[in-house]
Amino acid sequence: MSLSTTSRRLGLDLPERPSKLVPTIITVVVGIIVLGAASALPIPWDDLGSLPGQVVHYLGLMFASPNWEMLPQALFETWRSISMAWIGAIGCVIVSIPLGMLAATGVGPIWVRLPLRGLFAIIRAVPEVIIALLLLTITGLTPFTGALALAIAGIGTQAKWVYETIESVQEGASEAVRAAGGNTVEVTRWALWPAAAPALFSFALYRFEINIRTSAVLGLVGAGGIGSMLANYTNFRQWDTVGMLLIVVVLATMLMDAVSGAIRRRIMRGPRAKAVAAPTGRAARKGEEHADVARVS
Amino acid sequence: MTSDAQPLVVPRKPTSRVRSALIFLAFAAFTVATCIPAIGGIDLDFGALIRNWSNGSGLLSQFFQPDFAFVPRTMGPMLETLQMAVVGAVVAAALSVPLTLWAASPTNPNAPTRVLVRTVVNVIRSVPDLVYATVLVAMVGVGALPGLITLFLFDLGIIVKLVSEAIDSSDLPVIEAGRAAGGTQTQINRRSVLPQTWPLFANQWLYTLELNVRISAILGIVGAGGIGRLLDERRAFYAYDDVAVIVLEILVVVVIIEIFSNFLRRRLV
Repeated sequence: MSLSTTSRRLGLDLPERPSKLVPTIITVVVGIIVLGAASALPIPWDDLGSLPGQVVHYLGLMFASPNWEMLPQALFETWRSISMAWIGAIGCVIVSIPLGMLAATGVGPIWVRLPLRGLFAIIRAVPEVIIALLLLTITGLTPFTGALALAIAGIGTQAKWVYETIESVQEGASEAVRAAGGNTVEVTRWALWPAAAPALFSFALYRFEINIRTSAVLGLVGAGGIGSMLANYTNFRQWDTVGMLLIVVVLATMLMDAVSGAIRRRIMRGPRAKAVAAPTGRAARKGEEHADVARVS
Repeated sequence: MTSDAQPLVVPRKPTSRVRSALIFLAFAAFTVATCIPAIGGIDLDFGALIRNWSNGSGLLSQFFQPDFAFVPRTMGPMLETLQMAVVGAVVAAALSVPLTLWAASPTNPNAPTRVLVRTVVNVIRSVPDLVYATVLVAMVGVGALPGLITLFLFDLGIIVKLVSEAIDSSDLPVIEAGRAAGGTQTQINRRSVLPQTWPLFANQWLYTLELNVRISAILGIVGAGGIGRLLDERRAFYAYDDVAVIVLEILVVVVIIEIFSNFLRRRLV
C-alpha cells in the first residue's frame, strides 16, 4: 500500500510486492500442527521448569565421582560390543556385496534387479531393534543374536551402496573386457571389481563404525555387551557406575571411529585408489555424507 | 628374434605380497579375537540356529499372519509417536540456527566459543539415541518427555554438525561484502548468511523429521513413550501377530513421511 503511494509520488513504476499469502498460510498451518501436537502430548509442562535442575543433579551423581572399580567388567563388555559390531559387519558385507552387484544395472537382469532392490528398501525401513527382537525368538538373548541382527539390518543400506558404486564405475574397462570376448562374470571380475573394490572396502569399514553405535543400542534390549550393562546399572540406579559406563561408551566409540576412519581414508586416497578416484567419486562422497549422518545413529 | 633386443622388463607389482599378507593377517587376527568368548568375544553358535529353529518358527509364522483387528488399538500410541517426532524436530530446528552459526567459522570468527560449541555437539553426538532414552527414563520417569528430550538432542547434533560443516566449506563472498559495507558479524549473519543457508537448514530439518519417526517408533521399548511401548508389551505376551501389525504400521508411516519430505525437498531446491 505505502509502497504504491510512494512510487506514485516519485513517479516511479515499481513492481508490486510479491504476495506473502502462501508462506503465511504455510507458517500458520505448521504452527497449528506443532502446537496441537505439543499440547496433546502427555507431558506435565508445568514441571518443565524444574527439569534443568534435575538434570544437573543427576549429572552430578553420574560424573562427580565415577565408579572406576567396575572398569574391568566395562572393558570386557565393550569388547563384546565391538565383537558384535565386527562380526555383524563381516556378515553384512559378505551377503551384500554379491547381492548388491546382482542389483546393479548392467550386471543382473531386470527380473533379479527389481525384487532385490525392493528387498533392500524393506530392510532399510525396519529398525535394527525390531529385527533383533524377532531373532530373539530363535537364538535367545545372546551376543550372537546381536551380531546376526546387525548383519541382516545392515544389508539394506550396504547393498544400496554397493550397487550405486558399481553403477558409478566408468564404462571404459567393462567395454574393453567385453570387446576381448568376456562375459558378464568376467566383466565383473576384471573391470568392475578392481575399480569398485577400494570404495567397497571403505564402506565395509564404515559399516563397522555404524555397528559400534548400534551394538550398544541392541545391548539395551538384551543382546549383551556394554548396552546391557548400562541398562542394568541404570535400572539399579547406580549412577556413579552409569557415569563411568557413559564415559567408556563415548571414548570407545570415538577411538574406534578414529582408527577405522584413518584406515578408510588410507584406502580411498592411498596409492592404489588414485587410479580409480574419479569414477568412484560420487559414491565415495555419498559414503562420506552417510558417514557424517550415521555417526550419530 | 627378440633375444637380442632388451629383455622384457615387467614393472614391479604396485603392492608387495608381504604387505598384503600382513594386512590380511592383522584383519584375520582381529576377527579371531572377536570370536573368543573368554575375552568377551562372540560364541558363533550356528548350531543353535538349527537346534532352536522350531522354537522360533512358530512365532515367526505367527508374525507373518498379522492380526489386523489390532489396528484400532495402535492408533493412539502411533499418534503419540508422530507428535514426539514433530515436536522434537521443531524445537531442535529452532535451537539449531544460533548454535550452527556459532559452530561455523565464517559466521563466528571467535575461536574459543566456536570450539566450545563444536566440542559439546560432538560429545552429544557420540552417545547413541537409545542410551539417552534409557538414562533419561530413569531420570525423569516413564513417558513422552524422555523420548522428546532424546529426539531433541539427537536432532540438534545432526543439524549443527552437518550444516556448520556445509557453511565452513562453502564460499560466501557475501560475508566480505557485508564486512566492506561496515556490518557487524550479527548483521552479516542475519542479512546475508542466513538467507543463503535456509535450503541447507530446511534439508536437514526434513531429514531429522524422517529419522525421528523411525527412532521414536522404537524409543518406547525402553519406556520413552509412543508405539514402541505397545510393541514391547505385545512381544512380552508373545502376541507376534500384533507385533507384525505394529511393524507394518511403522513401515507405512516411515515410507509416507519419506515421500512427503522428498516432495517438500524437491520444492525447496
